[in-house]
Amino acid sequence: MKVIANHGLCQGHARCEDLCPEVFSTDAVEGKVVIVNSTVPPGLEEKARLAVRNCPEAALRLSKN
Amino acid sequence: MTLMFQPSPPDHVPLELIVDFDLFHVPEGVTDPAEILHDLVRRGVPKIFYTPRNGGHWMFLDYADIVEGYRDYSIFSTYQTPIPPIEPFPVVVPQGIDPPEHKVFRSLLAPMFTPIAVRGMVEEMQRRANTLIDGFADDRECDFITQFAERFPTSMFLYLFGLPEERLEEFLALSNVFFRSTDPDERAKNIVEIYAVMESLFRKKEHNPGNDIASAIVNARDANGNRHDWTDILNCGFLLFVAGLDTVTNTFALIWRYLATSPEARTYFRDRLEDPDAFLNGIEELIRINAVANNYRRITRDCEYRGIKFRKNDRLVLSGMIANRDPQVFKEPNSIDLNREVNLHVTFGVGPHRCIGSHLAKREIMVSMQEWLKRIPEFDLAPDQPPSSAFNGPTMGFKGLRLRW
Repeated sequence: MKVIANHGLCQGHARCEDLCPEVFSTDAVEGKVVIVNSTVPPGLEEKARLAVRNCPEAALRLSKN
Repeated sequence: MTLMFQPSPPDHVPLELIVDFDLFHVPEGVTDPAEILHDLVRRGVPKIFYTPRNGGHWMFLDYADIVEGYRDYSIFSTYQTPIPPIEPFPVVVPQGIDPPEHKVFRSLLAPMFTPIAVRGMVEEMQRRANTLIDGFADDRECDFITQFAERFPTSMFLYLFGLPEERLEEFLALSNVFFRSTDPDERAKNIVEIYAVMESLFRKKEHNPGNDIASAIVNARDANGNRHDWTDILNCGFLLFVAGLDTVTNTFALIWRYLATSPEARTYFRDRLEDPDAFLNGIEELIRINAVANNYRRITRDCEYRGIKFRKNDRLVLSGMIANRDPQVFKEPNSIDLNREVNLHVTFGVGPHRCIGSHLAKREIMVSMQEWLKRIPEFDLAPDQPPSSAFNGPTMGFKGLRLRW
């Protein structure tokens, strides 16, 4: 499972980082999403899915490959 | 109660969309300021309606429309939005400027409010929260709002601006007049005073910069390598003063009143003192249910939105308190579920003006709750509560909260 971020939509709420810091982080300049692990490590799928679903800007997507 | 003259509704608003609603009036005896908003939804008034009160303004009740109101700045501008209308009105920078121009100051401030920056402030927050708690812990009671909820964000403001803690009383006095006075003369004088304080602070930081927000603002350079316009600098300082104090104070008041009356919630958070992720998730829910800010927008041009005619300069109120209880988005929206899995609350707004201090505010709430619960694990409402004093408007809250333990 992979995660994809749309930086144009991201407004830096950082909900993804709060919910799944193993996959999502934020930068020090704008506070926007940084994907630290574009392939979700095994066992973290549910956490990553929740992080994606909690993005208030719908800036994150999951993909199977 | 608003006593000002109410103009007739403009002729572009159809009668069936007019609802008599006064955002600034919470009826006597009502202890929850949000009740006047929830009441609109319960009454089944139109999801987009116009009230002639307070100079006249639109209101959205659906989450989807409120989100659109935040995102589409081509129609819903943050420039010159006061309700009731006051002109001219200071342009608070960068909140009161539409994209892309708002980017100049937004980008300047952004690095100081990122999650990374805010994580670096945790120890200072812990220390300041504990200093305040030291002041009343042994009394086994306190006036929560004046002894903690007002002081903590103001104290953090001093820290962020590189000001000494000794100036706390002075800043508290300034913000109390700003947020609570209804006397027009006192208010006018107060704004002049706030700007004078900002002016002297920025002048000082221009010559003796420190590692603080005021220094960063005044010593930043624009695209041409010049210092930013002095008026913009002062307006930016003013924005940080007005945006970061009262919202946090009122959120604290609502949250602590809830904690005082809910043993389950106290237990929930106490059990998670060592598990910050779970603790934070519970806080997201408290933030959803206690969205104290109503944000204003101004219509930029004559247009139609969902078949309704808006006229240029019409005002609009976007209420997070309403959006966050929309059953189309939230499962059982009216119950507090500290384990809620999907929580798309818009308490900090969405889109280009998403509250820049959201991470700071959230962390202030989290650290305060953690430090409080470590030292005062059990508390409830004191029997001698002051008479109910709920208020609404751009921010909602209430005035007295006596706690005991």
